Amino acid sequence: MPMAERLRNNDGSALHPAVRDLSARLRSGAIDRRDFIRTVAWLGVSVASAEAVLGSAHAQPAEPVPQRGGKLRFVCVVQQMNDPALINWIEASNLLRNALEFLTYTDADNVTHPYLAESWKPSDDLKTWTFKLRQGVRWSNGDDFTTEDVAFNIKRWTAPDSLSPNRTAFAAIKAFETVDDHTFVLHLDRPLCALPEMLYAFTCAIVHRRFEAEGGDWPKNPVGTGPFQLIDYKIAQVAKFRRRPDYWGDTAYLDEIHYVDLGSEIATHIAALAAGQVDVLYRVTIAELELVKRLNDVKLYEEQSAQTLVLRMQQDQKPFDDIRIRKAIVLAADNAQMLKLAYRGMGEVSDNFHVAPFQPDYGPLPPLKRDIAEAKRLLVEAGYPDGIDITLELGNTQGRWEQDTAQVLQQNVAEAGIRLNLNVRPATEYWPVWDKVPFGITYWAHRPLGIQMLDLCYRSGSSWNEAHFYNPDFDAAVDKAQAILDPKDRSLAMVAAEKILQDNAVMVQPFWANNFTAAATNVMGHRGNPSHFYRMDRVWLA
Amino acid sequence: MTIVAKKLLALVGTMLAVSFLVFLVLEVNIQDVAVKVLGQFSTDDQRHRWLADNGYLDPFLIRYARWVGGFVTGHWGTSTYYRTDIMTLMLPRLGASALLGLAAMLVMVPLSLGLGIIAGIREGSAADRTVSVVAIVTTSIPEFASAVFLTAIFVFGLHALPGVSTMASGFHINEMVLPVAVLVLASAGYIARMTRASMVEVMAAPYIRTARLKGAPIGRIILRHALRNALITPVTVIMLQIPWLLSGVIVVEVFFAYPGFGTLLYQAALNTDIYLIEACAMVGVVVVVVTQILSDVFYALLNPRIAFGRAPRIKAAA
Repeated sequence: MPMAERLRNNDGSALHPAVRDLSARLRSGAIDRRDFIRTVAWLGVSVASAEAVLGSAHAQPAEPVPQRGGKLRFVCVVQQMNDPALINWIEASNLLRNALEFLTYTDADNVTHPYLAESWKPSDDLKTWTFKLRQGVRWSNGDDFTTEDVAFNIKRWTAPDSLSPNRTAFAAIKAFETVDDHTFVLHLDRPLCALPEMLYAFTCAIVHRRFEAEGGDWPKNPVGTGPFQLIDYKIAQVAKFRRRPDYWGDTAYLDEIHYVDLGSEIATHIAALAAGQVDVLYRVTIAELELVKRLNDVKLYEEQSAQTLVLRMQQDQKPFDDIRIRKAIVLAADNAQMLKLAYRGMGEVSDNFHVAPFQPDYGPLPPLKRDIAEAKRLLVEAGYPDGIDITLELGNTQGRWEQDTAQVLQQNVAEAGIRLNLNVRPATEYWPVWDKVPFGITYWAHRPLGIQMLDLCYRSGSSWNEAHFYNPDFDAAVDKAQAILDPKDRSLAMVAAEKILQDNAVMVQPFWANNFTAAATNVMGHRGNPSHFYRMDRVWLA
Repeated sequence: MTIVAKKLLALVGTMLAVSFLVFLVLEVNIQDVAVKVLGQFSTDDQRHRWLADNGYLDPFLIRYARWVGGFVTGHWGTSTYYRTDIMTLMLPRLGASALLGLAAMLVMVPLSLGLGIIAGIREGSAADRTVSVVAIVTTSIPEFASAVFLTAIFVFGLHALPGVSTMASGFHINEMVLPVAVLVLASAGYIARMTRASMVEVMAAPYIRTARLKGAPIGRIILRHALRNALITPVTVIMLQIPWLLSGVIVVEVFFAYPGFGTLLYQAALNTDIYLIEACAMVGVVVVVVTQILSDVFYALLNPRIAFGRAPRIKAAA
């Protein structure tokens, strides 16, 4: 009997559909036994049944005991990180993550845990959030960590003259109220159910209250609460961190972490890994998978991620102001084929509403069906009996797979008489225009909750509403969903918002792309992450 | 005005012209600088404020004049990407690229001259044909391709050489091997063939035939008589490789993550780091012009028929 059928849920209900896929991935070696048990437990499977099934199927050796010591070499571009709230690449946040910490922590399974904040409680209307800070946390300069530190950070994020993307993200915060040394309250002007998840964004590292008074240049004065401290920093070359023995939590295993800047060519990183010059890579894209799989002593890590490509059409630009044109493009697109050809099937198909089935607040909609005949009919009705010429702009900011996706779309829509012209720019030239082009491909990184993307990208008036989608019904549906705290309950309300997005043919959002990284096989305790946020305090070298 | 002064004036003029053009081209998308610094999720008003605070909204000519004034007094500005003073950033990188260039030259010059001479002495022989074919093949393969091939063989296949050359833990000679090999492969073939052609021409000259008939040993003929004349062209071509070694090695430096001038310029260009791009452009101009002057000097030294800069003594018949 196949493995999945011998598993049982805790409450006796039917197994979650993802369990079968997880079993396949376990068999193929894409995930290990521990990840499998952890994930199926989260999906409701009885751990006892999982262990029984695995125990009979494989004779697993006992889990190795972590050893203290060693210097880990991590390939990562070493960028400017003078101000943790102003960093604009995730890589810089991974460096900071060793020495600075966040109020909350979201793990690779999209579950948010206490971190510097020990607990939080929202009011019923989700507009007032009371946070209790962890006691006994100390900065590396000996000061106690208190509400004053958090107040300093949140106020500077949201100041009107702040240059940080946090200003946009936390625009709903209207007032910060200090209750005592370890308690504060955030007053919002609208309900935000995802506030804990938002506090783990990569620009939200908490710095010391005197950060600005002492120069505002973190590497020069690297005070932090985290398990490591910065001992060397040369931009574009190397950054070194050493374990702090006086950390408030469980001390880290590694003695030191060396971040080595090898530029941004991933082939170069893999050459360094193959030659044993480094131990861990930051990321690997679909183009380098085969190469990594062929290396000895290297392990490939794969994680399901809500990162995706959004091929969005601006609704105030011709010809996309006509919903029939948008619908024609969406109906002609073959999302499954784009996943299969451009990303080798390593992900999940999506139905153009930017909420993933593996996000806790996903509300299911009936699957879309491709319909060329209807697409053609809509074009004729819109006044284009001989087809239409459209340009799609892209920048391959994450790799060639963006262009591959566009090419599959080009072939798909050609069947309906839409002649799609691709305009490929270099990645660095695309970022200045990403939100200005009428029809463009934007890469969106993973967020733990579906509501975050709907709120960030499609609400009227949001700075990042690149599709210029202004729909009061959608805004109202999102507001309603924002006011529901429990993800499972929220998923019912999400259906309404998702349906409006889908019915309005806002975009082609074809698939969710798994993400990959690689490390030497003697690196233990490491795990991939859907956002590429890596915590290194539980990593050790065998 | 002396020759040297004239050349230096030409150098300054070229630098001014190039710097102005670079400034002009980058001016078209001045917003880019703010996007690169603040990130793609910054809003228009945030970008505008950053540009205003950092003087990018002043009129173009004022900014250019300010930059020229700073440049000539040794204040090259601060890099928006690296966040440090440009001159302190640039010098070690130039040194690193110079080291790479020197190593490449040390291997390439004897190798290509030697192969060219061997091929040229015996025109049409098996050695000549082999050298020619190998030279053509290696010249045709672009650096990014040979970098990939060599890495595939020596790093992934044989595990014999390091994959990257960051010199992160100090200088290691084995980290120089692959970058130097790629550079040598890219240019040695061309120099060898130029040397060969030059050598063939010289060996066919009457005075060489006379020396041979007089019974001089072939070694003495080559060293005493043929080389000095055969090397005129190759030496000037080698001099002209120097500017290429400074800027054309971007591909090699980026591929092997070698911290030289090439990676500096690459990052500056990708991140619209205007003042760093300008500084790199100026350095590039100086290197090109100076090596061309040196090349002229060498040519005049090697070829007594050329008088450096002086008007010809023989006037045309009236």
